[in-house]
Amino acid sequence: MTAATSSSSLDLLASGGRGKSSRTLLRVVILLFIAGAAISSRLFSVIRFESIIHEFDPWFNFRATKYLVSHGFYNFWDWFDDRTWHPLGRVTGGTLYPGLMVTSGVIYHALRALTIPVDIRNICVLLAPAFSGLTAFAAYLLTNEMTTNSSAGLLAAAFMGIAPGYISRSVAGSYDNEAISIFLLVLTFYLWIKALKLGSMLWGAVCALFYGYMVASWGGYAFITCLLPLHAFVLVVMGRYSTRLYVSYCSWYALGTLASMQIPFVGFLPVKTSEHMPALGIFGFLQLMALLDYVRSALPSSRHFQTFLWAAAGGIFSVGLLGLVIATSAGFIAPWGGRFYSLWDTGYAKIHIPIIASVSEHQPTAWPAFFFDLNMLIWLFPAGVYLCFQELADEHVFVVVYAVLGSYFAGVMVRLMLTLTPVVCVSAAIAASQLLNNYLNLKSPKPEDHTVVEGVDVTATKKAKGGLKSTSKPVVGIYSLLSKGIVVASMTIYLLLFVLHCTWVTSNAYSSPSVVLASRMPDGSQHIIDDYREAYQWLRQNTKPDAKIMSWWDYGYQIGGMADRPTLVDNNTWNNTHIATVGKAMSSREEVSYPIMRQHEVDYVLIVFGGLLGYSGDDINKFLWMVRIAEGIWPDEIRERDYFTPRGEYRVDGEASETMKNSLMYKMSYYNYNALFPPGQAQDRVRGARLPEVGPTLNTLDEAFTSENWIIRIYKVKDLDNFDRDHAAAAAFDRGHKKKKGLKKRGPRVLRTE
Amino acid sequence: MKTLAVFSAVLSVLATAYASSDSKSTLPSTFKPPQVFKNLNLVHVISVEKNYVKENINVLIENIDKEAQDEYYLPFTGDQMSRVGGFEAKDRKDASVGHFKVEAVEFDPESDIQYYRVHLPSPLKPGDRQALGITYYVLKAYKPLPASIAQDEQQFLTYSFSAYAPSVYTTSKQKTEVKFPSSAIPDYTKLPGSGDVQEFPQKQGTKLTYGPFDEKPAGAAEPVEVRFEFTKPVSHVSELERDVEVSHWGGNVAFEERYTLYHRGANLSTLFNRVKWAQQQYYNPVSYALKEMKFPLRVGSADAYFTDVIGNVSTSKFRSNKREALLEIKPRYPLFGGWKYPFTIGWNSDAKHFLRKVSGSSYVLNVPFLEGPKQPEGVEYESVVLRVVLPEGAENVKYQTTIPTSSITEAKVEIHKTFLDTVGRTTLVIKARNLVDDFRDRELIVTYDYSLLASLRKPLIIFITMIGVFVAAWVVGGVELKFSKK
Repeated sequence: MTAATSSSSLDLLASGGRGKSSRTLLRVVILLFIAGAAISSRLFSVIRFESIIHEFDPWFNFRATKYLVSHGFYNFWDWFDDRTWHPLGRVTGGTLYPGLMVTSGVIYHALRALTIPVDIRNICVLLAPAFSGLTAFAAYLLTNEMTTNSSAGLLAAAFMGIAPGYISRSVAGSYDNEAISIFLLVLTFYLWIKALKLGSMLWGAVCALFYGYMVASWGGYAFITCLLPLHAFVLVVMGRYSTRLYVSYCSWYALGTLASMQIPFVGFLPVKTSEHMPALGIFGFLQLMALLDYVRSALPSSRHFQTFLWAAAGGIFSVGLLGLVIATSAGFIAPWGGRFYSLWDTGYAKIHIPIIASVSEHQPTAWPAFFFDLNMLIWLFPAGVYLCFQELADEHVFVVVYAVLGSYFAGVMVRLMLTLTPVVCVSAAIAASQLLNNYLNLKSPKPEDHTVVEGVDVTATKKAKGGLKSTSKPVVGIYSLLSKGIVVASMTIYLLLFVLHCTWVTSNAYSSPSVVLASRMPDGSQHIIDDYREAYQWLRQNTKPDAKIMSWWDYGYQIGGMADRPTLVDNNTWNNTHIATVGKAMSSREEVSYPIMRQHEVDYVLIVFGGLLGYSGDDINKFLWMVRIAEGIWPDEIRERDYFTPRGEYRVDGEASETMKNSLMYKMSYYNYNALFPPGQAQDRVRGARLPEVGPTLNTLDEAFTSENWIIRIYKVKDLDNFDRDHAAAAAFDRGHKKKKGLKKRGPRVLRTE
Repeated sequence: MKTLAVFSAVLSVLATAYASSDSKSTLPSTFKPPQVFKNLNLVHVISVEKNYVKENINVLIENIDKEAQDEYYLPFTGDQMSRVGGFEAKDRKDASVGHFKVEAVEFDPESDIQYYRVHLPSPLKPGDRQALGITYYVLKAYKPLPASIAQDEQQFLTYSFSAYAPSVYTTSKQKTEVKFPSSAIPDYTKLPGSGDVQEFPQKQGTKLTYGPFDEKPAGAAEPVEVRFEFTKPVSHVSELERDVEVSHWGGNVAFEERYTLYHRGANLSTLFNRVKWAQQQYYNPVSYALKEMKFPLRVGSADAYFTDVIGNVSTSKFRSNKREALLEIKPRYPLFGGWKYPFTIGWNSDAKHFLRKVSGSSYVLNVPFLEGPKQPEGVEYESVVLRVVLPEGAENVKYQTTIPTSSITEAKVEIHKTFLDTVGRTTLVIKARNLVDDFRDRELIVTYDYSLLASLRKPLIIFITMIGVFVAAWVVGGVELKFSKK
C-alpha cells in the first residue's frame, strides 16, 4: 500500500541520485516493494478467513490440480472424468486450459525438490497473488517501452499491483485461469512491442512462446489473437508497413499458432474458427505487402505503381474477406460463437443463449463499476492515450488500439474489465509521470532565454515543455513554487486516495471466499456461517462414494471439489441440454421430475435456500434462469409465464402461481420450513414474503440434511415403492393413517342428512 | 457390510501377525494351558458405563501343581481377541510390584480360543496363593437395539458376555457384576439362582450381579445379554494418527492429531430433520448424537487449530491460560449413529514443558502417549499411530512407555523428510491398538542424542546453498549473451 507512494517519492530520489548502478538498485528495491504490496493487498481473505479456495470455478481448477499432482501429467492429459456430467462424463483433459494446473504442479514439484514440501492447496491459494507481483513487473516493462520516462514504468507497476480491476480476479484463493493469464497477457504485449521495435525474430519467438503459454491458460487468449493483427493492420493502413513489422508478426503468428494448436482444447480452432481468422488474414496480407514492397523496391518507383499497389493490396484484402465469408457460410470455418456475438449485441445472449446470460459476470458493465474498479486511473487514462497520440510511434499505436478495443469490451461485459485494466494502468502511469516530471523538474527559464524568445509567443515554448498554459511572466504561474507545490501535492493526494480506495475495495468487495460467509455476533465478534462446507462435508462422509447429486450447475464444481461426489451438471456448461434437463426437473411438478431423476440415477438433490438467513444468492432467485433454460429445450412443457402471477409478479407467498407452487424447487425450498415458525408466521427473509400457512408436501423426496442456517438443503430421492404404488398414493396413505383417526372424532358432523 | 467385516478380519489377522515379533510368543497349534492353577475366588466386574467395556477380574489363585508356576492364562475368543486391549495385571495386595508382564499367546490364528499370558513376577510355589487384578477393555462391544431409532428417541445398547468369567482353570467361587450408566436396564438374561437367591441377576440401582456361583469347571460359559439405555454417543476412533514434532531451534513441540471418528450407535430411522434437531436442542438437549468434544491439553498449549479435509472448521473454541488449555470443538454437523467425521486438530507447545537436556548431547522427551478428547461417555481407539519426529540427525533413539506393552503392535525408527531436510528427520513410530481414553495420562519417554554438529547442519546447508546460488549467478552474469555489434 505504501509502495505506490513510496515509488513516486523514491523515484525522485532515484532521479536525484547519481550513478547507473545505484539507480538500478533503487529500481529493483522499488519493484520488490511494489510486488510486496501487490501480494499483501490480496491476502485479506486468508487473514480474515483461512487459506481456502474461493467461489466456484477455482474449485474445479483445484480439483484438477490435485489430480495432476497425484496422477502425473500424462494421466491428467488423458483424464476422463466420470464423476461429472453423469451419465455422460467429461473428457476433462481435453476440454480445459491446462496452463494454470501445470503451473501449480511445476511449482509444487520444484518446491519439493528444494525440500520445501508445501501443501498443494496453499500453492493454489497463493498462486494468484504471487503472479500479481509478476504482472506488476510486466506492466513496468511494457510501460518502459512506451516512454523514455523511467518513473512511468514504476508508476504503472504500482497501479497494476493494486488496481481493483485486476485484484477482483486475483485475490488469494481465487485460483482461476485469470490468475496467471493477466501476467501472460501483459508480458506477451511487452514482448510483441519489443519484437516490433527491434524487428527481431528472437523476440517474436519469445512472444510466441508466451502467447502459447497464454493459450494454454485462458480462453481470453483470443483477445491477443485479435489485438495483435488489429495493431498490425492499423500500422499497415497508416502506411507504416516495415520489415520490422513483417518479421515480428510472422514469427509470432507462425510459432504462436503452432504452439496454440498443441493444446487439445484448442486443437485446430486457429485455422477453423472465425475468431482466429483476422490473425490468419493479416498474416496473408503481410506476405502480400512484403511481396509488393519487394516489387516496388525492384522497380523504379512511380506514382502509378503506388496506386496500383494500394489497389492490389486493397483488392486482395477484400477478396480474402469475401472468401472468408463464403467459407464460413459454406461451413468450412465455424462461425462466431455465441459468446462472441454477445460482445456485439448485449441483448443477444438473453434471447438466444440464456445460459450465458445467466452468469452475472457476463452482464454489461454498469457505469459506476469503472470508477469502482479503476478510481482515478479512469480519468488519467484518456490523458495517457492523448500523450500516446502525441508521439504516435508504432508502440503508441498499440496502446491506442488496445485502449479503444479494451474500453469497448469492458463496457460490454463486466468480466472484461480485467483486460482493460493493464492498458489503463499503462496510460495512466504515462500521464501521471508526465505531469509529475514536468512539475518537479521544471526549471525557471533563465533571463537570457527570455531575451531570445521575447517578442515570440512565450507560452508556445512552455506549452511544448509542460503542455499547460502559463503567464507571460517567467517566474510566476507554473514556474512559481506555489503552483508546483499545488500540482504535486494534489497529485500526491490523489495517489494516496487511490491507495485508500484500492484497499477499501479489495477489503470489502473482493475478499470474500463466498464459500464461507462472515457475520457479526451481537457482541461484535465475528461469526462464520459455514453452511456450504457443513453440507458438503456431510455428503462426503455420510453418503456412498458414487451417490449422484443433482443440483443447479453453479454448485457442480463445489460439490465435486468439496463433497467429492458425482454431479449431473457443473460450471463447465458444455452441454446445454443436460443443464436444461436439470432445469426441467427442478421446475416441473414432482410427477414429471421423478422419472427424470430416476433416469439419471440421482440419489440426492441439493438446493440452496436463503430464506431463513436472508441470503439472496439462493436457488429461488436463480429459479427463473432454470425455467428459461429448460424452456429453451422444452417450450411446450415449461413456460416462463406460468411462474408469474397473473399480474406478472414473481412471488413465493400464498399468491404464487400454481405452477410455481407445484414446482420441485419451490417445494424443496419451503418443505418443512413452516415448522420453524409459529403457525402462520413463516417468513421468507430474502423476498420478504409471508408464506402460506400450510407448507408444501413432498412425495418423491425425503429431506436428508439441512444445514444449520438452512442455506443448503439436501433431499434423498425415494426408491420405488415396495407395493408398486405411485409415491403420491403411498405418501397419502401414510398421511391418511393419522387423518382417519382425526376424522373419526368428527364423525357425526360429516353424516349426510338428506 | 460383509466385505467390511472380512476386511477388518484380515486387518486383525495382519495386526496379530505384526505383533508376533514383539509381544507374542509362538506355540504349537495344539497348545493348551496346563492346569496348574485354581481360581479360589473370582469377582468379575464388567463396566458398560462408557462406550467401551472395561472388565476387571479380581481373582485369588492357588498353585495346585507340584512345581512352582509363573504363567497364568486368560482365554478369549478369536473375535474378542481382536477387540481386546489395554490388558494389564497387577498384584491386588502389593501395589508396589507394578504391572506384571503380559503378552498375547500366539499359537494358531485359526483357533477359536486365544490366550493372554500373565507372567507372575516370582513363581508361585505349590499351594501358595496370590491375588491377581486383571483389567482389560473390549472395544466395539455393543450392538444398538433397535438398530435404528428416531432422532429424539432414547438409544439402547446390548452387550453379550458370559455370566461365568472366562477361565482355563477350575473356579471354586465367582460372581459377575455389571455396572450400567443408569438404572434403565429394560432387558437382561435371567438365570436360575443358587443358594438363597431365587434368580440371577440381582439388581441394585445401576448394578446387576450374577452369582455367586459355585464351582465351575475350566472353560465353563453361560451366555447372557443385557440391554440398557445409553443416550450418549458411541464414539469410536478407527484410526488416530498422532504426530509430535520436536524442534530444537524453534524451542517448540508441535502436536497434530488426525482422527477418523465414527458413531457406532443406533442409526437414524428417518433421515435427519433440522427442525426437530433445532427444537430438541432447545427443549431437551440430551441426545445420542455427538455434538461436541473437549480436549483438555497440557497447560501452555497454544495456536490450536481444528480442520477437516475441506478446511478450517470455525466451530471451535480454545481457551488457554495459566491453569488450563481447553480445546472445545464441534463437528460440522451433529454426528448420529452410522455417521462418520474425520478431522484434524493440532497445537503448539513450548519445548521446555516436554524436553530436557540430560547430559552433553543427550535429551529426554516426555510427552503424553495419548491426548484425545475427554468425554463423559469415553472414547475408544482402534488403532493409534504415534510418530515422534525428532530433529534431523538425532540418533540412538530409545523409548519407554507406561501404555500396556501388549497393546503396542509395532515400534520402529524411520526417516521423515520435510522442510529443508537433507538426510531427513529421525522419527520414532509406535503403533498401538485397542486403546481407550483411560490411558490419556500415560507417558511416552523418548531419549536420544543430538549433537551440536547435527543441530548446525541446517543453517550450514542453507548458507552454503545461498553462497552457491550467488556464485552461480555471478558466473552466469559474466557470460556475454549478446551478439556484439562491434
